[in-house]
Order: sequence, then structure tokens, then C-alpha cells
Amino acid sequence: MTDLATEDEREEELSTLQSIYPELSIISTSPLVADIDIAVAPVKPLPIVFGSEPVRYRLSYLPSLRLRITLPAVYPARKPPELALTTTPSWIPNHILRALEDVGRSLWEEYGGMPILFTYISHLQEATETAFGLADSTNTQSLQLPDDWKATLLEFDTTERREKFDQETFDCGICLEPKKGAVCYRMERCEHVFCKVCLQDFYSNAIIEGDVNSIKCLDPGCGKTGDATADRRKNARLLSARELLQIPLGWDMVKRLAEMKRKKKIEADKSIVNCPRKWCQGFARSEKYPKITDATLLENDPNSEPEEGSEHPAPDADAPAKSEDKIGKRPGGASTDRLAICEDCNLAFCCVCLASWHGDFVYCGPRKEAELSEEDQASLNFILKHTSPCPTCSVPSQKIHGCNHMTCYQCKTHFCYLCSSWLDPGNPYQHFNNKKKKGCYQRLWDLEEGDGGGDDVRFGGARGAVAEAEFWEQEALRIQMEEIQVHDNGGGNT
Amino acid sequence: MSTGAKKRIMREYNECTADTPAGMKINFDEQNMTEWEILLDGPDQSIYAGGHFKLKMTFPTEYPFKPPVVSFKTKIYHPNVSNDDKGSMCLGMLRADEWKPPNKVVAVLRLIQALLIEPNADDAIEPSIANEYKENRKEFEKNAKDWVKRYAK
Repeated sequence: MTDLATEDEREEELSTLQSIYPELSIISTSPLVADIDIAVAPVKPLPIVFGSEPVRYRLSYLPSLRLRITLPAVYPARKPPELALTTTPSWIPNHILRALEDVGRSLWEEYGGMPILFTYISHLQEATETAFGLADSTNTQSLQLPDDWKATLLEFDTTERREKFDQETFDCGICLEPKKGAVCYRMERCEHVFCKVCLQDFYSNAIIEGDVNSIKCLDPGCGKTGDATADRRKNARLLSARELLQIPLGWDMVKRLAEMKRKKKIEADKSIVNCPRKWCQGFARSEKYPKITDATLLENDPNSEPEEGSEHPAPDADAPAKSEDKIGKRPGGASTDRLAICEDCNLAFCCVCLASWHGDFVYCGPRKEAELSEEDQASLNFILKHTSPCPTCSVPSQKIHGCNHMTCYQCKTHFCYLCSSWLDPGNPYQHFNNKKKKGCYQRLWDLEEGDGGGDDVRFGGARGAVAEAEFWEQEALRIQMEEIQVHDNGGGNT
Repeated sequence: MSTGAKKRIMREYNECTADTPAGMKINFDEQNMTEWEILLDGPDQSIYAGGHFKLKMTFPTEYPFKPPVVSFKTKIYHPNVSNDDKGSMCLGMLRADEWKPPNKVVAVLRLIQALLIEPNADDAIEPSIANEYKENRKEFEKNAKDWVKRYAK
């Protein structure tokens, strides 16, 4: 009879508890075991450091505390309840859990063998407000946890936060209607909330109009501190592409915005050249600003808008090093770096003369002579007059002395200094004994003292020959004109 | 104009009638809800006291993404109102780049009232009037009162 009464008392206590906490579940009746999960949402977020990472996370929601209650047959009169506290993962230090379990025992003693489960659970719930002292205002230390738990705990926090948010109701400042959190979006940085439809409408509209600078939080007071310069800085804080995708804005829109931003940056960057093909005009040398091809590119961009004052962030700093690398790898290691490749049509061109790519060793100047400095013009003239280009690689070579059979120092091609034609390495001299080659026949040793560049030497390699031919053509024309004039004048006199 | 925008204008009108700033009356035509006529009394503590001003508030198609356009139909001598037949105002939240969608008509109306009490000479649309306001307050007040008598009675 007494036994029955005690059992009733235990079961009655559990069923009362169950009506207060529906989440309480009775695992077995003999022995009498029940589980309850107690949510942990400290009033002040709990600071946590994972592994050796220097970042301190502040979590508002933590995996719940599981209490397993085993009630011995003689509870509550003669024995305290057996209480076991656990968490998965075990983020609460063991000594705290043990201390919390001990509280149950002392409560039982204090109550002198009365049912204590409700009081105990209330005590635990109260303790969650400070995360069992871990998030106490007097405790400035962060909780140190292994790195492996980071993902689980962060995800738990995010999901809980999300669920809480979804159930809340907000007044959207744009459509002025109350909306459930589930159809709203909270700004990452300032936590202002608007309904998704309004945000989508506004940002899409701004993107279509090309109004890049209004892609920011829509709250009128957001980013305003009263200090004008600070405000301007904060105002420049535009939403990242990643955040826009989260709202969510369509990929097409976000891509369009990213392309606009990219174009703006490229247009401000003087080192970027446009493709010379009129129908293309794509950008070249724009590696610094990767083309927007897929979402991952945007995901990697934590804040697409650099802070003011650091106009050229890290990528720029290592850019010169990279291009030097590239030059080093080129055959011959020439110091000019004129090759540019259009990102759209893949045309390889020279960014100085804008002709299609002619190799590293061709001397070229800007298309417009006005852009050429006096010095450059002089050296260009000299090269035209006193060098011969290699027929293979076009490198200009100047003969210092010796015969006119040349070997290119660059690509080892055998060629004739006089006419720049390719010579058979097996029998290069044949060229100078061939009667058909009028310009070169018997002239192996012409200009033996070298193509010095003195004004006395009128001949200068293949280019010199071209220049000379032009000179004589002009001369012939001039003489012809003179003769005509003389003739005309003569006619007039008679 | 989207239904959302119409709904919002309607909602704002209801809000305005429930809480109209003192000395203001709004004439609203449901057939043409994007143009509001506002009758505004010069605030007592201002130099425009005793004047009755007619204003027009026009809502753009993109409202509330773009600010409403406010113009004084009654001529007024004021640094922030253009001295022409348009009587336009363009400052603070009424500027396209300053406007934020959660701003409301009530806030605009209060801004206008506040400006009648204290003009903003640093953000003036009429530099000469602003200058007079700053340099020769007496002359400014005389002119403003004169205009109230002439146009706003």
C-alpha cells in the first residue's frame, strides 16, 4: 500500500512536469527515467574561442542541456533523484555540470524529502541566462573550445536565430505593412529589417538604373552619426554581392551589378587597355579584376567595396611582383611588357602600337607620333637606319664588324645583314655568290668595319637599304620635277 | 504605378489624416492619388504667420523608392523655395540621393513646417535670399512679410 503510494507520487510528479514542459519525455517506467532538453540562450551572448583561432565568436544560442532524471523507488522520501546533465557536443565544462547536479542533491536535502524536480528545472533554466556563469558580466574570459565543434555550434546558433527571427513580426518601413520574419531580411551589418519583396524591388530598380551607390541599407538613419565625414565613409558601405544573393536577389541582377562595379574600377585604372578591334573593345590586362563568371567569385569577395583611403588593397600590392615573374619567364627576359590579350575576343596585341602581337623584340612606338618622346623618336630612327631585323624573331641586330653573314643572338637563325633573308646554316655563303641576288652578290664583306651609325655610312642593313631606296626614289622624283619645271619655264620664255 | 506603391500612398494618407501636423490640411483625390494638395498656415512663431500657402506634393511612379516632389503654388520669400512659378524645394530628404524609402510624407510635412520657422541658409536654392537672411535679417523679414501680404492672404 505504501509502495503504491510512493510510486504514484513519483508518476504524479512526472506527469505534472510533463504538462508544464511538454518536451519532457518519459524513457522507461521501471526504473522511472525521464529526459528533458533545456534550451540555452544566455541574455548576453557567450564569447567563445575555437582552437587557436584569434577570433572571438559571440553566440546567443547554444546546444541545449539534456537532463536525465532517474527516480529511485524510494524517491522522494528516502533518496534524492539521480540527475545526469549532458550536452552534445560537451561544450559546458565538466566541473560546471557536476556542480549543477550537486545542486539537485542539496535541494532535496533542503526540502527534506519533498518532490523537487520542478524547482530544480527552474533553477537550471535560470542558470542558462548567464550560460551557467560562463557569460556572467564579471567573467570577461572567453570559453575555450576545440576547433572541431566550431561548425556545429555556429550552425546551431544561426539556425536558432533564424527560427526565432522567422516567427517575429516586423513593420516593413517601405510598404509600411507588418510582415512575418520569414518573409523579411535582416541586414548583416546594421541589423535593420525590411521585407524581402520591398528590398528586391528597390535593389533591382537601382541596379537597372545603374545607381550603384544606393545599394545600401534603406534605413534613413543608418550609418549616420552626425559627423559628416564619418557619415560619408559609412554611406559608402554598400551591400556585398554575397548579401544581395542572400536576400535573395536574382543571380542575373547581382551579376549585372558586379559587372558595373568592375567596369567602374577598370575605367579608373590607367594600366588597363582596350582591345583595338573596333567591334570588340574588351578589356585587356584586367587580371586584377577577375571577370564575373560564377557565384563563387562573389562568395570569395567578403566586402566588394574597399574602405575609403585604401583604394588599392592587397591584390594591387602583389600585382607588380606577378608581372615581373611573367617577364622573367619570357625567352630572353626582355624588359618590355607590351603583350596584352583581350579578355573578350582573345586578340593578342601590343599595348603600345595597338597592332596585333609582333613579339617582344620588335621596336614599336605609339600609333600617334605625338605620343612619342623626342628620345624615343631618335632611337626609333636609329634602329630603322642602322639595324637589320632577324627574319625569324624580328629582333633588330646591328653589325659591329665582319662579314654580312649574321647569326641572330636571340634565336640563332642565320641571315643576311644586307637583305634580312634567311640563310641555310649548312651553306650560308652561297647567298653572296648567287648572281640572281643582285643586292647581295659579291657583297659578303661590304661594310666590314660595321654599321656604325656615323653619318658617313649611308648603308645600314636591310632597313638601311629600304631607307636608301626610298631616298633615291624621292631624289628621282625631285629631279624629274625639276626637269619638268625647267621645261615649263623654257616653254614660257619662247 | 505598382499596387504596392498605391497601397502605401493610401496608407500614408490615412496616417496623415489621423495625425495631421497642426495648421495643415490635405486635399486628397482618390482618382488621382499621386497628387496631393496641401494647405499650410504659416506657423505662428514664424515670420510667415498669418499666411496661407498652397503646396503640391507629387509622387513619382517609383515612389517610395524616389522622393515625392514638393512645390509651393503660393509665392513665398524663402531661401529654400525657388523664386519662380515652380516654387520647388530640394533639400535634405527631398533630394534623390538622400531619400530613403522608409521616409514618410508626415516627415516631409514636418520638415516643411520646420523650414518655415527656421530656414536652412546653408542648403539654399535661392542664394541671394539666403545671403540676405544671413547678412541682413531685418531686410529679409521685411521682404518675407511683404510677400505674405501680397500673395498669401
